[in-house]
Amino acid sequence: MKRFILGRLRFRRGMILVLAMFMVVLLAGCGGNSGASSNTEANKTSSNNAETSDKAVSAAAAPVKITWWHSMSGAGEKAINKIATDFNASHPEIQVEAIYQGKYDESLNKLKASLGSDSGPDLMQVYEIGSKFMIDSKMITPVQKFIDEDKFDLSSLEPNITRYYTIGGQLNAMPFNTSNPILYYNKDAFKAAGLDPENPPKTFEEFEAAAKALSKNGKPGAAIAIYGWFMEQLFANQNAEYVNGGNGRDTAATESLLASDAGVKTLEWWKKMVDEKAVANLGRDTDDTDSAFAAGQVAMTLNSTAALRKMVDAVGGKFQVGTGFLPRPADAKEGGVVVGGASLYIMNNKPEEQQKAAWEFIKYVASPEVQAEWSVSTGYFPITKAAYDQKVLKDNMVKYPQFQTAIDQLHASSASNATSGAVMGVFPEARQIVEGAIEEALNGQKQPKKALQDAAAQITDKLKQYNETVK
Amino acid sequence: MSELDNQWSLPAGTRRASAGAGLRTVSLKRLRIRENMLAYAFLAPSLLLFGVFMFYPLLRSVYLSLYSTDPAGRVASFVGTENFTALFTSGLFLDGIRVTALFALLTVPSGMLIALVLAAFTHNLLRGKRLFQFAFSLPMVLSVGSAAVIWKFLFHPSLGMLNYGLELAGFAPVPWLISPKWALLSVSLMTVWMNLGFNYIIISSGMQGIPDDMYESAKIDGAGPVAMFRQITIPLLSPNLFFVLVVSIISAFQSFGQINILTQGGPMNSTNVFVYSIYREAFVNFRFGTGSAQALMLFLVIMLLTLLQFKWVERKVHYQ
Repeated sequence: MKRFILGRLRFRRGMILVLAMFMVVLLAGCGGNSGASSNTEANKTSSNNAETSDKAVSAAAAPVKITWWHSMSGAGEKAINKIATDFNASHPEIQVEAIYQGKYDESLNKLKASLGSDSGPDLMQVYEIGSKFMIDSKMITPVQKFIDEDKFDLSSLEPNITRYYTIGGQLNAMPFNTSNPILYYNKDAFKAAGLDPENPPKTFEEFEAAAKALSKNGKPGAAIAIYGWFMEQLFANQNAEYVNGGNGRDTAATESLLASDAGVKTLEWWKKMVDEKAVANLGRDTDDTDSAFAAGQVAMTLNSTAALRKMVDAVGGKFQVGTGFLPRPADAKEGGVVVGGASLYIMNNKPEEQQKAAWEFIKYVASPEVQAEWSVSTGYFPITKAAYDQKVLKDNMVKYPQFQTAIDQLHASSASNATSGAVMGVFPEARQIVEGAIEEALNGQKQPKKALQDAAAQITDKLKQYNETVK
Repeated sequence: MSELDNQWSLPAGTRRASAGAGLRTVSLKRLRIRENMLAYAFLAPSLLLFGVFMFYPLLRSVYLSLYSTDPAGRVASFVGTENFTALFTSGLFLDGIRVTALFALLTVPSGMLIALVLAAFTHNLLRGKRLFQFAFSLPMVLSVGSAAVIWKFLFHPSLGMLNYGLELAGFAPVPWLISPKWALLSVSLMTVWMNLGFNYIIISSGMQGIPDDMYESAKIDGAGPVAMFRQITIPLLSPNLFFVLVVSIISAFQSFGQINILTQGGPMNSTNVFVYSIYREAFVNFRFGTGSAQALMLFLVIMLLTLLQFKWVERKVHYQ
């Protein structure tokens, strides 16, 4: 009996340790593969690469296999699979395998985890705010290299799109899916509220007046999701830079300009409308504002053009969906929208031959035919101007005339560092910090200016940390 | 426990030695070695697993906590205790602990109480007992992911069932996950529901283990249902309650899935529990240094908590 108790006590003491350890292990387990092990992995890879290229020389007839990691689900994934299948059918010497790796964040994290091994992809779709990280990681071959070698003609591409992805004087990635934010509004509700359904609000002031007119019984008439992207876009729309160093394009950004006049003005405008119950705060998720809009609960909302198809389908004829430009303050004369979306990177840890194959595929993807098809099935706009001559796109424009807004808005944007989009390595994190600041202001926790100042200080601090670890 | 403490410190080796001395003194040493070898051989599989999945990662996070990492998560430079001091000066640690403690406080007692009440209710039920037992344990079959997605629909600000119901009843809609005042409550509500199945099964099975003759003799002695519940059910149920308590506290400290799906730590970090902020730091921002430092702090906190539980709470537990 005594022994039994003794054993039990000891067992229990052990249990405390073991239970507590469980907590740490989750994290550390994955942390382990990032550090020292990557060295040995890297060695392995280089020898593997040598082998594969030897093999490739001996058996040139076999098709080159490349993997493409992407983050498109739903209609986008279907369209991507079709692109890959069509390409494989027309290019027997190259076989592309498209793999969905989760949302942009998840997919990028998987890429980071695969660093130093050859389990990563040949071709990687990365969201626009991951651009700086991809360049600093030194794990890509800039597409400019192939463009130069191939004398590929860039002039047919949309200049406003290539402007975003040209960093350090070269095109590091090929744009693939691009979008910009537009205003969605309910034409029927506009009519009912005595507003002109063919003339959506263009300025902050008009937006506020319209939102007030659309509100009734304390129910807000518009909704804006707390999405950091909108803040970035509203900055660019006033031609204001988001970070220093020429928006991070001339030199590496060291300071966030979030608390500048443009930011304060935007957030005060936003908060005022929320306080007046003219705009609803439905959280960070644009899905929630979309569904409120589709259900007719709010009559105006902001979202990406990429949501257009989904939105029109969700509304399903219950009312007429109108689209307009992203609003800007009445006194802001210049500016425009930044392209959102993602681009394709060629990874440099694969043999030359595979990288070339990836480039072949990129050229195919950038062709007018594929871009037109892609645009029609997703709502992203084509990266090449020639796509507008394609019949599928013309037909689509007749069916969804709202789509024209995004293209007009893109073309109306003035060219500057502000509208080329900010560049910083900690962009994903900065976006979250900004979203936190917007929440603090809308919930009355802090004054808009104070919230932005605190957030800017945090981002500046993260930038400093980032710049220290990147050499 | 105090009278046991003396025996506890008794080294196991001497006892075994004295037992061995009775057999053959010559080969005692060899016998002992052989015995130890055998013991280690039996222990080897679990030691290996613990080593690979627990001790090595633990040491690794100690190592990582002293370094900074580059954006791809590779070790960049030695920073000493900077990661730890940053944790305290930025308020990240205290905020995380505050939210986590609040979350545990909101979920553990209420989760146990509801499970206890439901178990007591179904235990004495004459008809439909199986049906209710089935219904109350149902949340257990759902994974955190699917449960959270279901609740996300319920909590939807404008189209959710909960707000729809409130509006029908004439109340103002509640900003379940949007307001920093409500978010933690909403997540707790969902967590209590989700853990209910498990708590219910443990407590209810404990109740079934209490022999009926105890209740019968208490009844003969004139005890009412309340007295019986307090004097018989609770003490005899205490091992189960203690188990549920320990497991619930640990799972409250480990909660991740529902927070990741419902709020992602927001709004304004009001649901940014410790584990979630570790995840964000390490696997979203790829700063394994500060992430590991946070994890080690959590390790200390959990160890202290569990020690306390075993030292103080277990005294009240009545093992049959």
